[in-house]
Amino acid sequence: MSEFRTVGKSEIKIDVKAKVTGRAVYAADINLPGTLHAKIVRCYEHAHAKVKSLDLSAAAKMPGVVKVFAPGDLTTKFYNQSVIDIMVSKDMRGMLGDIEDQKILTDHVKHYGDGIAAIVATSEEAAERASERIKVEYEPLPVYLNAAESSQEGAVQFTPQKPGNMAFELPEPAFPNNTLGWGDADEGFKEADIIVEDNFYTSKQKQAQMEPNSYIALYDDDGLLSCWTSTQMPKSVQPKIAKLFNLPMSRVRIIQTVVGGGFGARLGMVLEPHICALAMALPGRPIKVQSPREEDWLTSPSRHPGDYWMKMGFKKDGTPVACDAKFVNYKGGYYLDGSGVAFTTGGWVSGLYKFGALRYKGESYFTNQPVCGAYRGYGNPQTNFVLEQLVDRACHELNIDPVEWRKKWHKDVGDDGWCAGVPYASCALDEVLDEGAKAIDWKAKRERYAKQTGVKRRGVGVAVMVHTSGAMPMLLEHTVCSVRLNEDATAVVAFACSDMGQGSHTTLRQIAAETLGFPLEDVSLSVGDSNDAGYDIGAHASRTLYVGGGAVMAACKDALKQLLERAAMLLEANPDDLEIEDKQIFVKGSPDRKVAAAEICSGGVYPFLNPQTGAPESIPGQILGYSSFNPMHNSPPFGACFVELEVDTETGEIKLIEMVNGHDIGRAINPAVVEGQLEGGAQQGLGMALTEELYFDTDGKVLNNSFTDYKMLGPSDMPKITNIIIENPDPHGPFGAKSVGEAGLVAPVGATANAIYNAIGIQITELPITPEKILKALNEKRAN
Amino acid sequence: MSTRILTEFELLTPKTIPEALDILDEFRDSVTPIAGGTDVLVAMKFGFSTEYAMSISAIPDLDYLSFDPDKGLRIGANTTIAQILDSKAIKQHYSALWQSAKIFATPQIRNSATLLGNLLRASPAGDCSCAIYALGGSIVLASKQGEREVDIDDLWISYQKTERRTDELAIELRVPAPRTGSTSAFKRLTRVNEDLAKLNVAVNLVMDTDRCTDARIAMGCVAPTPIRLRETEKKLIGQELDGTALKRITASVKDEINPIDDQRSTAEYRKSVSGVFLRRAIEQACGLS
Amino acid sequence: MKKHSISLEVNGTAHQLTIQPNKTLLDILRDELNMPETKYGCGTGECGACTVLVDDRKVINSCLTLAATMDGKSITTAAGLQTADGTLHPIQEAFVENAAVQCGYCTPGMVLKSVGLLKNNPNPSEDEIREWLEGNICRCTGYEKIVTAVQLAGKKMAQAGS
Repeated sequence: MSEFRTVGKSEIKIDVKAKVTGRAVYAADINLPGTLHAKIVRCYEHAHAKVKSLDLSAAAKMPGVVKVFAPGDLTTKFYNQSVIDIMVSKDMRGMLGDIEDQKILTDHVKHYGDGIAAIVATSEEAAERASERIKVEYEPLPVYLNAAESSQEGAVQFTPQKPGNMAFELPEPAFPNNTLGWGDADEGFKEADIIVEDNFYTSKQKQAQMEPNSYIALYDDDGLLSCWTSTQMPKSVQPKIAKLFNLPMSRVRIIQTVVGGGFGARLGMVLEPHICALAMALPGRPIKVQSPREEDWLTSPSRHPGDYWMKMGFKKDGTPVACDAKFVNYKGGYYLDGSGVAFTTGGWVSGLYKFGALRYKGESYFTNQPVCGAYRGYGNPQTNFVLEQLVDRACHELNIDPVEWRKKWHKDVGDDGWCAGVPYASCALDEVLDEGAKAIDWKAKRERYAKQTGVKRRGVGVAVMVHTSGAMPMLLEHTVCSVRLNEDATAVVAFACSDMGQGSHTTLRQIAAETLGFPLEDVSLSVGDSNDAGYDIGAHASRTLYVGGGAVMAACKDALKQLLERAAMLLEANPDDLEIEDKQIFVKGSPDRKVAAAEICSGGVYPFLNPQTGAPESIPGQILGYSSFNPMHNSPPFGACFVELEVDTETGEIKLIEMVNGHDIGRAINPAVVEGQLEGGAQQGLGMALTEELYFDTDGKVLNNSFTDYKMLGPSDMPKITNIIIENPDPHGPFGAKSVGEAGLVAPVGATANAIYNAIGIQITELPITPEKILKALNEKRAN
Repeated sequence: MSTRILTEFELLTPKTIPEALDILDEFRDSVTPIAGGTDVLVAMKFGFSTEYAMSISAIPDLDYLSFDPDKGLRIGANTTIAQILDSKAIKQHYSALWQSAKIFATPQIRNSATLLGNLLRASPAGDCSCAIYALGGSIVLASKQGEREVDIDDLWISYQKTERRTDELAIELRVPAPRTGSTSAFKRLTRVNEDLAKLNVAVNLVMDTDRCTDARIAMGCVAPTPIRLRETEKKLIGQELDGTALKRITASVKDEINPIDDQRSTAEYRKSVSGVFLRRAIEQACGLS
Repeated sequence: MKKHSISLEVNGTAHQLTIQPNKTLLDILRDELNMPETKYGCGTGECGACTVLVDDRKVINSCLTLAATMDGKSITTAAGLQTADGTLHPIQEAFVENAAVQCGYCTPGMVLKSVGLLKNNPNPSEDEIREWLEGNICRCTGYEKIVTAVQLAGKKMAQAGS
């Protein structure tokens, strides 16, 4: 029998019945009386241009139009839609914080789809028709689609804050020689028997969450600005909006609707500044914007694409003596997350293997492409594609089994993690690798596939990864939780943690019930409104269960402590000697000495005065547990993914056969939720490996901002999936849990590439690995 | 332009074929006929505008599918891809068409989209178009002046342009009865399973045991319209279709096509796989694979 | 634009509607009838979030259907699958029990699509389910638990029906 009542059980998710009937309310489903509809007018003529003239007069005269807006008609203050500026200390902000370089509407178009005007009308259709009457003249500017182009001398400057268009490099004061790592890589390479080295390209992948971006804002008669949004970070959006519009936070209310997926696209803001600005321009009227799907690829951040060079040296016995790497990413038109991904991409290299020496450089350059920001994995899938392929190349040259090499050389408990100074406290990667290899029948298949002939070639590949649970110490991690006990000893747990569909509200509720010792149904949640709960940084860095769970546990323990203290007074016992079971509190070993939790809770709410004595008949005060929680660690989860596939050597086509996705997650609070994260992550990781990429013509026009041409793996494309969940409780996580949100996406990327390598002996260095690239490489190999 | 909002138009909904022909006669190039609408509505969301749209979906006389072993197949303009898929006769006698219907778009689209609509769209990538091109047949175009039958070989003039005059309505597809020894197959290459084709091919062969006595081969995504591989057809006729012969004959397919680079693939790739792909389609049709 | 009058039954309730010709069935359901359970996901028939069931048997994309051409049709949405006393349809129940729902935005369409399958093929194989679900994009689940839910619902419904 489990030691827990609800932790470890696949409890039914909180909002699932509302979702299967379609009653869950997303932002687009909200219709306030008197709503006006907005359209953001975008530039689809150029990827880089100055607006020479903008004539909105004809649009303004169209039926139903309430008001039209040129850039100067809304605030022209700069802002940054992401949040790294508020997550780092003042001292670090200059080095690592995001700069403010975005405007709500612009006259300097920096990417295809940049916003140049806005229209508010009585209906969406009226706004659309009016937008067709706008006359714009542009002065085209040179279009830069990669770092080399935008950094050349004489290039048009994206922002005076970053001369030369280099948005970011690892800053000298914190990273000597602008590098991250340890030891002397040059010396290390001198000891190497073999060197593996290559240039890679990792692609611009999009989250493509199913709910398009919709928002409503209302600036009401009391001067309160309310915004209904599916952001992942309501409590970070609140101060950002307050700052942008010079409002105190008490005048800004962010109401998080049901979130139709995020994966990083909703980390921070997308169109919140736009809708709030329009609401403030038209006080008293709710303004709604419903973005069409095609705009999602253009306005919300994607994964950072870029050029990734890596070199590794090994001794004959496999000892990895040195690693040298450089990731140059193409930022897009604006800065957001320009520092974060450039840093973490190297962090993931440093966290995985025991290199003798490591030197990593990370740089970000502006380009005329839609913005990049957070996407599930935050640099880790890029690193996985590069690092894991080169490891396999070395293993091949050294004739070492890739699983055995990884078991020998991965970092372990006590080794420095992805951020120096925070050593790993738990690691079950060996077990994950062993179980995974067994599940996919690794040894037998590797032997069999080494001897195959014929048109269709099977391959099996492995990749491992380490991720994080929250972003401390790089970024602040903080969640506030309060737990109020009702008079019937049921609990209301309030926090601002986001559930984007991953199930975090359900798992946090399980943690609350478990900690309180209450049945699950006796715990309800108060979530969603920035005014109803204390601070929470928002959903990023796989931190919600880990940090939010820590906060919930601490607040529940505080409430429980108060409950037990009162029980101790009533039972004339020491609080430490008390136990709670079925909401009865009793003295250990003396089950007759007990008091009902409800009696204490009720007594706290109703402390009636005794008519004779005038004293309260019960201990007064409603019990309120509270925590303001900062985690002490980032308890990284480890994972190993095995992929089996078949390559058609005549067409280059790849058929996915099977995947085993194994993870060391500490503890599964809700196993079905954990599996869901791994399976969903796999779909995105396999997609990144094989099909997903946003691409451009030479003028910077996005060619595939639609599901017609942005292809993701569908139900019939997915392989058979086996999840392996290793529970090896972490000393820091709530009930030993580590994160799982991003982890599932990462290793499928490298494992797929390595399976292809195993099948045909070729490593494809550019993502995605398409049949076109495979066939070309096969033809070149045959020609030589 | 927005995928949320359609352009403006007047909608006409005739209930009979004569009513529809009157409308076409009156409005000519300012009216766009719509059957399932799955292509036209998407086009309208991306800026295609038409003064009038004429939905033929309320004309019951256009919803039929009949097969006669002697006369062949007749399919009305309102017959959906899902109905093609449900037809046992098509599955049995016109494999290429059935196979192309099976992978056509999505189940929802198959329930709305019509076979004639797919042919009249004149897309170089149309899967059913490719299959019908190989099977051969004709389209009946009706107007107030009467009916005419246009051979499928003459239907597509250029990219998204057909032989249909603006006063005409395509009312029926006729496909000849299968000849003794005939066999057909359809195959396509895509990025993921649910996708538009990056290359599609359909073959329709008449076999005398292992010897090919007649052949029609259509390939899509390699020119502005689907094309026939007439040189390859000639090379196949009279041959015993074993592995060696097929390899030899299909090696020159790449010289018969003129593909481009686009969102879905490259010209180089299309050329590179065209021969292999045709060979596999023939093997599939002949049960060699 | 000249408006069109149609009669349309939605979840058993008859409506007389006068509508603009350029309105899709999705527009009418969401904006005129205030039934937000049918979702806009892409507007181009790729994602399936707008899926509805027509005449209790045929799934279509409401985003690619002109509402004015739906005169006399009967439409079922995800909310309409639930009975008046709140009982969920067996497919909905299976989605709940098998954790086949994450963000939930694709779910109404996914549920209706599955109903469409089981009406025509009560005992589908896993491959048939996967092929049929093409045209409904889910970005959260990797489809695993959805496929399992449809399989189990099919079995349950077959048992209950026999």
